[in-house]
Amino acid sequence: MQPILSVHNLNKYYGNQVGCKNMNLTLYPGEVVGVVGESGSGKTTFINSISGNLIPDSGKILIETGNETIDFLEISESLKRLLIRTELAFVHQNPRDGLRLDVSAGGNISERLMSIGQRNYGNIRQTIFKWLDKVEIDKSRVDDFPRTFSGGMLQRLQIAKNLVTSPKIIFMDEPTGGLDVSVQAKILDLLRKLVRELNLSVVIVSHDLAVIRLLADKIIVMKNGEAVESGLCDQVLDDPQHSYTQLLVSSVLQV
Amino acid sequence: MNNVLKFKNKKTDVAAQDEIYNFAYLDENTKRMIRRALIKALCIPGYQVPFSSREMPMPYGWGTGGVQVTSSCLTTDDVIKVIDQGADDTTNAVSIRNFFKKTANIETTEKTSQASIIQTRHRIPEEKLKEKQILVYQVPIPEPLAFLEPRYQETKKMHALSEYGIMHVKLYEDITKNGHIETAYAYPVKTNERYIMDPSPIPKFDNPKMNNNPAIQLFGAGREQRIYAIPPYTEVTSLDFEDYPFDPSKAPHKCSICGSNESFLDEIITDDDGNRSFICSDTNYCNQRMENN
Repeated sequence: MQPILSVHNLNKYYGNQVGCKNMNLTLYPGEVVGVVGESGSGKTTFINSISGNLIPDSGKILIETGNETIDFLEISESLKRLLIRTELAFVHQNPRDGLRLDVSAGGNISERLMSIGQRNYGNIRQTIFKWLDKVEIDKSRVDDFPRTFSGGMLQRLQIAKNLVTSPKIIFMDEPTGGLDVSVQAKILDLLRKLVRELNLSVVIVSHDLAVIRLLADKIIVMKNGEAVESGLCDQVLDDPQHSYTQLLVSSVLQV
Repeated sequence: MNNVLKFKNKKTDVAAQDEIYNFAYLDENTKRMIRRALIKALCIPGYQVPFSSREMPMPYGWGTGGVQVTSSCLTTDDVIKVIDQGADDTTNAVSIRNFFKKTANIETTEKTSQASIIQTRHRIPEEKLKEKQILVYQVPIPEPLAFLEPRYQETKKMHALSEYGIMHVKLYEDITKNGHIETAYAYPVKTNERYIMDPSPIPKFDNPKMNNNPAIQLFGAGREQRIYAIPPYTEVTSLDFEDYPFDPSKAPHKCSICGSNESFLDEIITDDDGNRSFICSDTNYCNQRMENN
């Protein structure tokens, strides 16, 4: 099997400041890779660099679309943006960054559908209902504005908006950050269900080891912009080799 | 330059002080700059060309963009017609017509067929336009994506890459809220199968008239400093959904003056009891029908 996304020696600097250095990643179809590390360790820089939100200074990003391998950093801006709105999806930590707040919930979900050329209102409406159901938002809320939604609902709406075109690779930056614990659990449950059901390939960034343990197959531990340890999730978390990973694992609160 | 000399040599009844104006008010360098923008706009139908809009002797929102475009197109042989919401006799139309009469000393008309340049606010004349006629639209907001995406940089990118999904989001919202596409004016169109364009706030009833029109259609937005254009015989389609097709629609009434079934109507309240009647918004069209009958 070929990896759907592979990143080689990716570097991103902010002036002299290291954003992330020498990062590598291999993501196979249906796999979830978690990126953990303390705040300021370069997680977000890394995920932004590989998803097209930031332009890295050097490195290679290869995306396998099924028929061809695309060099993500070499393609034209138009192809890149086409990929971003069809094959890739980005779930922001703050759902307000990923949603249009003055457009109804249904309108938000429909945008990606219409940008790939769907022009049948009835069909679009059907798809919207299907997705609201999938993310457990009541159908009666379809025409309400996102600003009337709670934090957890907003996040679920953002997920629906992103997944509606069945993107191949999904990037998530702290999707449960800023939500209270019970809502977090619900979102995680939903994400786990969707990942299994739709066989999604996901790169997920979190500082929360519990989130990563629950969702991820593989894990990359970052510190000061570099990967200090990577491997199978359970293996790394149960038997951390690097001193920083050991610190990270041992500092998880035991309730 | 020829125009200037011709105009200055011409013995006219314009008061002496008005002769200090250059022909059609704008100076020749400005007109040249605007003509360049116009030519570029005609080459790329529907594309918004930035231009350095001048301060005009009227407030923004009164047609400063249209006036600058008209001024740059005028020659001494032109016959100009100015309409405002279809009417030749409203304040805006009369004052712009007088403006050109005074500064260019050219012939004016109310007859659509006799005009070589028609400056319009929010209507396309009912009478079919011909080749060698120019229709100049006054545009308040040239960017059709403005209300959906406030960042100008981003809308430029969206145009460049034909990322127009969001335009249909607006129509989707319309159908969802009202059961049909409620947008009745400034209805977005696609020009030459490429650029999405704001046709200025003309009623959607007029949208089909833009398609394949033999006349040149020029759009000027003074405050927003943009010019765009539709060359003659260019395809212009109104956006819609397969199951909610574009419908030009008009009030289900006849004109109570000329009896026309086909023209776009204004609704007039006639008394304090709320009685109303409908009359043609295109006054010239209505008058001509009355004369011919």
